[in-house]
Amino acid sequence: MEVLKEKVEEEEAAEREEAAERAERGEKTKRPMEVRRGEATMTQEMLRDLERKLSEIEVSVPEKLLTFTKDTIDTSKLPFSYQSNTLKEEQLLQVADNFSRQYSHLCPDRVPLFLHPLNECEVPKFVSTTIRPTLMPYPELYNWDTCAQFVSDFLSMVPLPDPLKPTVKEQEKAPPKKYAIKPPRDLTSRFEQEQEVKRQEVIKAEEENRKKQEEARLLEQENAKTDPLHGLRVHSWVLVLSGKREVPESFFIDPFTACSYSTQDDHFLGIESLWNHKNYWVNMQDCWNCCKELIFDLGDPVRWEYLLLGTHKPFLSLTEEEDEGMNDDDDVENLGKEDEDKSFDMPPSWVEQIEISPEAFETRCPNGKKVIQYKKAKLEKWAPYLNNNGLVCRLTTYEDLECTKALEMKEWYQNREDMLELKHINKITGLNVDYFKPGHPQALRMHSYKSMQPEMDRVMEFYETARVDGLIKREETPKTMTEYYQGRPDFLSYRHVNFGPRMKKLALNSAESNPRPMVKITERFFRNPATPADEDVAERVFLIAEERIQLRYHCRSDHITANKREFLRRTEVDSKGNKIIMTSDMCISFEVEPMEHTKKLLYQYEAMMKLKNEEKMSRHQAWESELEVLEILKLREEEEEAHTLTISIYDTKRNEKSKEYREAMERVLHEEHLRQVEAQLDYLAPFLAQLPPGEKLTRWQAVRLKDECLNDFKQRLIDKANLIQARFEKETQELQKKQQWYQENQVTLTPEDEDLYLSYCSQAMFRIRILEQRLSRHKELAPLKYLALEEKLYKDPRLVELLKVFV
Amino acid sequence: MNRLYDMEPRVMDDEMLKLAVGEQGPREEAGQLAKQEGILFKDVLSLQLDFQNILRIDNLWQFENLQKLQLDNNIIEKIEGLENLTRLVWLDLSFNNIEAIEGLDMLVNLEDLSLFNNRISKIDSLDALVKLQVLSLGNNCIENMMNIIYLRRFKALRTLSLSGNPVAEDEDYKMFICAYLPNLVYLDFRRLDDHMKELAEMKHQYSIDELKHRENLMQAQLEDEQARREELEEHKAAFVEQLNGTFLFDSMYAEDVEGSKLSHLPGVGELLEAYKDKFVIICLNIFEYGLKQQEKRKAELDTFMECVQEAIQENQEQGKLKIAKFEEKHLLSLNAIREESELSNIETKIVEYSEDITELLNVLMMLEMQLVEQLEETINMFERNIIDLVGLFVENVQSLMAQCRDLENHHHEKLLEIAINVLEKTVKGEMDEDLPDDLRSLFVDKDTIVNAVGASHDIHLLKIDNREDELVTRVNSWCTHLLDKVHKDEIMRNRQRVKEINQYVDHAQSELDSLECGDLLD
Repeated sequence: MEVLKEKVEEEEAAEREEAAERAERGEKTKRPMEVRRGEATMTQEMLRDLERKLSEIEVSVPEKLLTFTKDTIDTSKLPFSYQSNTLKEEQLLQVADNFSRQYSHLCPDRVPLFLHPLNECEVPKFVSTTIRPTLMPYPELYNWDTCAQFVSDFLSMVPLPDPLKPTVKEQEKAPPKKYAIKPPRDLTSRFEQEQEVKRQEVIKAEEENRKKQEEARLLEQENAKTDPLHGLRVHSWVLVLSGKREVPESFFIDPFTACSYSTQDDHFLGIESLWNHKNYWVNMQDCWNCCKELIFDLGDPVRWEYLLLGTHKPFLSLTEEEDEGMNDDDDVENLGKEDEDKSFDMPPSWVEQIEISPEAFETRCPNGKKVIQYKKAKLEKWAPYLNNNGLVCRLTTYEDLECTKALEMKEWYQNREDMLELKHINKITGLNVDYFKPGHPQALRMHSYKSMQPEMDRVMEFYETARVDGLIKREETPKTMTEYYQGRPDFLSYRHVNFGPRMKKLALNSAESNPRPMVKITERFFRNPATPADEDVAERVFLIAEERIQLRYHCRSDHITANKREFLRRTEVDSKGNKIIMTSDMCISFEVEPMEHTKKLLYQYEAMMKLKNEEKMSRHQAWESELEVLEILKLREEEEEAHTLTISIYDTKRNEKSKEYREAMERVLHEEHLRQVEAQLDYLAPFLAQLPPGEKLTRWQAVRLKDECLNDFKQRLIDKANLIQARFEKETQELQKKQQWYQENQVTLTPEDEDLYLSYCSQAMFRIRILEQRLSRHKELAPLKYLALEEKLYKDPRLVELLKVFV
Repeated sequence: MNRLYDMEPRVMDDEMLKLAVGEQGPREEAGQLAKQEGILFKDVLSLQLDFQNILRIDNLWQFENLQKLQLDNNIIEKIEGLENLTRLVWLDLSFNNIEAIEGLDMLVNLEDLSLFNNRISKIDSLDALVKLQVLSLGNNCIENMMNIIYLRRFKALRTLSLSGNPVAEDEDYKMFICAYLPNLVYLDFRRLDDHMKELAEMKHQYSIDELKHRENLMQAQLEDEQARREELEEHKAAFVEQLNGTFLFDSMYAEDVEGSKLSHLPGVGELLEAYKDKFVIICLNIFEYGLKQQEKRKAELDTFMECVQEAIQENQEQGKLKIAKFEEKHLLSLNAIREESELSNIETKIVEYSEDITELLNVLMMLEMQLVEQLEETINMFERNIIDLVGLFVENVQSLMAQCRDLENHHHEKLLEIAINVLEKTVKGEMDEDLPDDLRSLFVDKDTIVNAVGASHDIHLLKIDNREDELVTRVNSWCTHLLDKVHKDEIMRNRQRVKEINQYVDHAQSELDSLECGDLLD
């Protein structure tokens, strides 16, 4: 121990010398190093004095650190490295102690450093050695954001005994609104407009003011409880330095929320110290303005006091260009010296490599469930497959701070067979919106509804590419149905159906066979590039009740008006009693560029006949749409009821089918293996062993060997047969005895005894039958087996040459 | 072919056509309407004229829109009178007495042609039928297998029938067709299987490869020519065609007899070479400058057109918006008027409505007038710019041409000098070199030689002047035409729009009027 101490002292001395040297260099190069300048003039005596003083200082390490539940960890099972310190670690602790003493001497009013807390086994460990960089096999852990998310899920926060919890404040600021003013019309008065705008602005400004005041008031209300521990708490978080892996700027990660913050963030009031697995740095910069003006150049000893004079220079020491050359020179000069006595490497980490099993990784949160309470909101998370309806996340927002009145709920699902992804429930309006991933049997993308009853307000959106009819969206109200299409060969883009009230007299039939009568169907079409615009219908309206059909055509690119045509279907009879087929007043048309052939009654008649047919088709399609809605609603209800989850075929744990298959495969393999082992069994080995080793077999020996082997096998077969026979006889005898006993005592037996007897009988009979079968089978197979062995022996490479002669 | 000739050949007259059209026209209710109105020949899409003993195809010129024509089982001997039927897709001329394929050059849309059972011995004159898919030539007199190679040009041909021809007797017939017409799917009403095609391809591989090679060469040649033609067109559009070489210089000497004689004088050869080089460089300058200017003019025109189109589009959108708004209101007010029962109310509504119409007219007309004004300004600006551009171009070309002339003058002087030297030498008898006889004849006296050199010079200057004049005239006329067209287009557009607006407003008004009448009657 003494020796050790000396060594440490030596080191300290060396370190100080080095520091002094540095300071001198600083003088030479006129580097601004106020802290060190004073020390530069220190004499040896002063140093001794300082040393003495330092050793007198007692640093009080805060003892409240280990408050977490120790009893959950069985310390005896932990590896040796957990329970004791290596020589090097001890040394490091000494260094750290010394460092801490110097620190409290130099900065008496700062919080003591967090250097070597006790671990699970009550052994002090230096913080840096608790970090062990480990590469995990999960791609999510390779980037900071997903990794932080995992850590935050994986850790559960246990509040400190202090009654005031560290709260995560959420600041919501409404995005600034843009007041875009439409450009004024040419002919209106500018002055009036300006006045109007001014008036509006005044109103808006007032509103704004009011809003701001309101907000301020609310904010004040919420922040009324000021934090008595503000600035007194110490928290650990992660700093990611810029430079490597395309990180453009340093930033902070809060491990509990997985949120990243800029180093400029107001919530981070200051930094005491930083450490990683290689070194420990104490911040020497002033944090009067939070962390906003900190410079994260760890190579700068003025700003960051290091604990170990690392041989690994921390990156980023090149903020001043002239530094580069100077440092390089110094390095060369001091290289040998440093290597000899000063450099003290961080000992390897004492912790075991972290192991995260795939299950744990998937489960993420402890027990697969986590609840996070926010201001006016609650977030619940579950591991996949934990809930049997596939629910993995639920966000509930509340109206009040006490979280009693829910405003809306968002529920995320995973692995649902119906591809449901997100359910959005608005508690106030009662509006439910379901979102689906591609793959729903009806190609549903979104379904928003208040009630699952048909003929109510609802909107359904579809993945139109997955549908044959190219339907994008279907909106329904009690009286209308509107459908939007895309990419159809007939260029239909929109269909709107107005329904009338249901006929009462048909109420006898069931609801399905009594559809609502359609009053009006409006259809719109995209431009069909194959036909000229003035013959391409843009909109057609079937006024079914009035027997009227209106057509509006597309507008030609050089026109501003479009063709229109209206057909009135009338079945009238002329004066002679003949049916009027078509008259010119049955078709009123407006043509931008009058055409000749459209004036013909024949043309109009044919057009009308065609439209009649199309009307029928449209009605039919609308009717089919109604049916489809019913079908989807039914399907949705069934799906909600069943909420089956899909299991990937690669998920070997959950996929029963693949599990069975895999097990069967394993069994087959195992059996195959056994058979092979048997095939490789050397039947000659025990007989060969009897012969003197290393000698060649003579013919006589070979023959004897063969015969012995065969005889032995024959004996074994006979033994086996005898054994089975013996067992058989034993069983039969026992059964007979029992039967005898039964017949003698039949009268006095209780029903239980009788049951026992009967069950015994049936079991004995079963055993006897089996033995019988085995015996007969054995008798059948024994000669065959004998012959097979003989054959094998004749072909055995060791005997084949010698036995050949006899064949 | 052993047709019954018990009937007289008939003429395709109006009567026959009308009858056929009437019989084959619409049926039932539509038929009554058709009868009532009459059917115009040009509205007929399909016509069937089989078993009519027609000898000559005639009187079909009115059937402009005909798509399907059946003339089978007649005694037609010559394909004719089909020039106007450019929309024809389906033509059946089977069971006739046709000997040669002809008269189909206008039928570019034809897809299905049947010439079954005729007397054709050669497949040709089908070049125009680029869309041909089905060709039936069975029961004819085609003997030569090479006829099939002709069919290679029809890329869309899928079905062919040739059975009943002497050529089909050949044992290699099927293989040959498979090999040479690889895109064919049906031959003689049977599907060609892939195995067969493979076999055929292997069998005839060499000759087909050769054929393909030749076809490719031809194709490449055609493309080359096309490219050259296009390039020339482009140069012509820039008015500097053939200035990118020695063309002008060569043309100067092409008709210059004296000049070529004089070139044999000692020292003139080198002089000519130097002159030519310089001249060609100037020509190239003109050429390049011309192309650049053409680019500029084109860019100017494109920008102008784009802007005009944009302005028109925007204006149209505004107009459409106004009309859409009006129409919305229009429907409501028409319904309101229809449902209104009180006469005084109806009247006030009608008045209101007609006011709306007038307002729409005013608004639309105002928009149009606004556009006209804007466009006029733009067009004037464009006119100024393009005239400036053309002027600049002409000016610069003229200055370059002047350089050419200077060169020519310089050359002339040099040549004259040499000529006089030679003359002096000849007169003195010091001429040691041998001159060609026709050249020697010029060196009689000073006047002759000066005249000869002068004539050559004049011819050269004339050529240069001509080229310059041509360029200037053409560029100027292009400019005038362009501007004329721009103005005319604008006027046409304006008239169209005004007409359109008036028509629309009239329509709205007439709708209102008819409503008024109806209401008053009620």
